Amino acid sequence: MAELDEATRKLTIKLVYYGPAMSGKTTNLIGLHDLLSPDLKGELMTLETQNDRTLFFDLLPLGFRTPTGWLVKFKLYTVPGQVVHDATRKAVLSRADGVVFVADSQRSQGVNNAESFQNLEENVRRVGLDFESLPLVVQFNKRDLPNVLSEEEIQARWSAAPWPLVMASALTGFGVRETFVNLLEAVYPALEKHFSLHETLGTDAQSFINAATGVSLGNQG
Amino acid sequence: MEIKARGYGRTLSLRELLSGVVPAKLSAALTVLLGSSARVISADGSWVMSDTPALAENARRLPLFHDLETAGYLETTATDEGRVRAVVIILESFMRSGARYFMASEMHIEVVKTDFEELQRKHEALMVSEARYKALAEHLEERVKEQVNTIESAHRQLYQAEKLASVGQLAAGVAHEINNPIGFIRSNLSTAQSYVHKIQSVAKQVKSGKDAALVNAWQSADLDFVLEDFPSLLQESVDGADRVSRIVSDLKGFSNVDQAEEEIVDLNDNIRSACNVAANQLNSRAELNLALGELPKLNCKSGHLSQVFLNLLLNAAHAMRERGEIHIWSGVEQGQIVIRFRDNGCGISPDVLPRIFDPFFTTNDVGSGTGLGLTVSRDIILAHGGSIEVDSELNTGTTFTIHLPLDRKNT
Repeated sequence: MAELDEATRKLTIKLVYYGPAMSGKTTNLIGLHDLLSPDLKGELMTLETQNDRTLFFDLLPLGFRTPTGWLVKFKLYTVPGQVVHDATRKAVLSRADGVVFVADSQRSQGVNNAESFQNLEENVRRVGLDFESLPLVVQFNKRDLPNVLSEEEIQARWSAAPWPLVMASALTGFGVRETFVNLLEAVYPALEKHFSLHETLGTDAQSFINAATGVSLGNQG
Repeated sequence: MEIKARGYGRTLSLRELLSGVVPAKLSAALTVLLGSSARVISADGSWVMSDTPALAENARRLPLFHDLETAGYLETTATDEGRVRAVVIILESFMRSGARYFMASEMHIEVVKTDFEELQRKHEALMVSEARYKALAEHLEERVKEQVNTIESAHRQLYQAEKLASVGQLAAGVAHEINNPIGFIRSNLSTAQSYVHKIQSVAKQVKSGKDAALVNAWQSADLDFVLEDFPSLLQESVDGADRVSRIVSDLKGFSNVDQAEEEIVDLNDNIRSACNVAANQLNSRAELNLALGELPKLNCKSGHLSQVFLNLLLNAAHAMRERGEIHIWSGVEQGQIVIRFRDNGCGISPDVLPRIFDPFFTTNDVGSGTGLGLTVSRDIILAHGGSIEVDSELNTGTTFTIHLPLDRKNT
């Protein structure tokens, strides 16, 4: 769960981009860094890579200050997708407030997606989170590639799932922001319930999301 | 105020962020770069790099950002804006690199720890599974032993059944073949007896006759003795033929063991018939004493039990070093038929006694015994719900006691 520090008036929210190897999790963070313009935006910190593949995790800090003087910090993490790094995935997933599952739309990746999703479900339980209530958005990435599952197929396959589905092409930025906004929309009610954000921070869902993504209040609606 | 530390995600202090540099050298380098005195101080002022003393009142204070927050300040009296900016960027880069190091090492520690715990869990699970397989293996050994016993017992029965079947076939064939000739031998002997009687009736007339030559011939041939001896010879032959037919019928009793159907018999008859079959071997070695009490009829595999009695009798006979005695006693004790074979033969030595019922155990020379006699005997008695015990003293004799329940359903 997020950390709320009354003394320093700081709320830290942890969001995790999960998914199979090479599905574009890091590319999502790079895209967000380029697309979003919140008050506060850190540099993308890449801990360790090998042949373009994440070994530990990537971290993108974003944040804003509320009119009431609170600092809201988002820490966006990616997990290493390769099967062998399960312990790292579990460590990154620990205490997450929300998860984006980045699936690879290519037809050949069906099994990898399924295995990774199952791994997510298992690890969520292992780190003591409740999978049923965990805010989750499913992103189907790499829409720009040929030989991908059609949107209809995906919608049909996931019709029974309760999570928002977002089509994306992280490399071009398509759907990256939408995914993030969808996640914030799922996360906010949980935070509101737990911390009464409206009373403490003086925010509502819309202003919170706008601030996080950098949409100036004047432009909304 | 420090937020509780927790792994790679915790907030790092300025001191930690700059732990990768040598403070004195960096401080000196900053002074040179800025061309003016400078110091680096944490956000809450609790830590000052290389304990540089406070600067003059007019010093500037520039925030050093890390992770969206002010982690500390650069204080300097320098006025060159470009240089100051550049130094801030250098310091923030150092901090970034320090943070990277901390996060990576924290994550590494965490992963190693969970991997180790996972290994230990797996190790424990393996131990449990190993124990389970061990138990299974032990159980397996038991099961194999059981199976081997079953197979051995089946093998023995098969061996005995085949032996009995071939003996039975032979006996049935022999009995059939002998029955006819013995029938007419017996009948002819009776006729011969009556013929001798007729000849005897004319002997007087021949001897008192006038024909001296005839009388002379009679006497020289000693026909008086012949006529006197002839009936007893014939009587002995009749007795012999009767014994042959009795043995043949006893043999037939043994010959139907392979059919092994239950019948209701008086076991005393089986004992007697076993004695008859063994008579030849017994007579030369031992005196047979039968003390057979009245027995209720028993529903049993008669041929099998006869085989047991025969085995015990022959064993007793073989135990005789010199002519001895074999006592067979039968009776009813506590609702069970009890049959006791007692001999005063050589006895069984104590080290052999526990093994006498073991299959293929024999004290006879190779080829003269199968070592199955007592094993099969015990199997047969057990199959009837009974028991067989042995009591023996070296050089004094051996007693086998058989108990057979009258009503097998209760056992």
